[in-house]
Amino acid sequence: MDIFAELKKIVEELLDLEDREITPETLLVQDLGAESIDLLELAVTVNSRFKIAVKDDEIFLTRFRLYSAEAKQRGQDTVHYIAVRYPFLGEERIEDIMAHIKEGPQLKIRDLISYVTYRLQEV
Amino acid sequence: MSLHFSGNRALILGGTCELALALAQSMIESDLFPILTYRDDKGLNAVGESLQSFHGKYDTCYLNFGDRDSLESIFSQIGDDLNFLVDFAQGNYESFIAGADEDSVYSYFMENISFRAEILKRVGRVMLKKRKGRLIFISSAAAAKPNPGQGFYTAAKLASEALYRNMGLELGERGVTSVILRPGYIDAGRGKIYLQKQDQKILEMVPIKRAITGGEIAQTILFLLSDSAAGINATEISMDGGLTSGK
Repeated sequence: MDIFAELKKIVEELLDLEDREITPETLLVQDLGAESIDLLELAVTVNSRFKIAVKDDEIFLTRFRLYSAEAKQRGQDTVHYIAVRYPFLGEERIEDIMAHIKEGPQLKIRDLISYVTYRLQEV
Repeated sequence: MSLHFSGNRALILGGTCELALALAQSMIESDLFPILTYRDDKGLNAVGESLQSFHGKYDTCYLNFGDRDSLESIFSQIGDDLNFLVDFAQGNYESFIAGADEDSVYSYFMENISFRAEILKRVGRVMLKKRKGRLIFISSAAAAKPNPGQGFYTAAKLASEALYRNMGLELGERGVTSVILRPGYIDAGRGKIYLQKQDQKILEMVPIKRAITGGEIAQTILFLLSDSAAGINATEISMDGGLTSGK
């Protein structure tokens, strides 16, 4: 299954996007203007299409900032701390998000691909 | 007035109470397909007896508030095919707050609020897939005007109302709407027993000087489920004969 192609189709349908270039590097909120209700619907659709359990907090990295603050508070390595909680991301991607997090929500299509791939392996 | 409905499958929580059974009958007569929840054999038998002439036109499923496994099995049974939710379910815990048993309070709120939130999450996600759905919570006039001893019941009703109201606020743009009905004194179920105990005198306080009938409640819910009422969203409606409007 081409996970990227399927996710691209879902995002295009839900956000009513036509002729818009979507790549794994596309940011859902900043580039595509996705709002909370869109993300909720996206989670429901991903659950339905891929037949995987979807935890909204995980797939949308909702607690990324919180985990980052927690790690600092506890004097622990931030990347490792987040990697344990978001094992589908990979340390390189976590570092990338941390470097850009002040610019706004960093959720990319590639993060969704990572999550779906991770969950499918569990099934 | 003929009513039109968007969809036909309706999950009725607390499906064994007298009002739910009256509603189920009205639904079947309007070509809707009610799925009534029960929590014990007694309830299941009550459904069977009440709807015996409608074989194949309704379904039942086991749901015990607070039992998350039973919730899981309901959604395995229903799948993604659900258009309406009507929620009559409500445990009763009557006690003065200063005299309440702590463990009972925790479990009462877990069953009647937290568990309901989980149901709403599941139902909301099913309806979101269809971008269509209607949620109706049957609250109580006690939400506006409780008697002493009804603090926990009222708190649970008000919290549940808030959950339903927000479902309509959050998912309204995706076609999932909600409404809360607050019946007053009803001549059915628990209300009937209460009225008998009070020797009907309490009805003197009601401007229309009578109780609301189960049939009236059922017909009102049917209207609220219909497309005609689609504009009524994220709000509560009192159906108490004017009881809570005056002093």
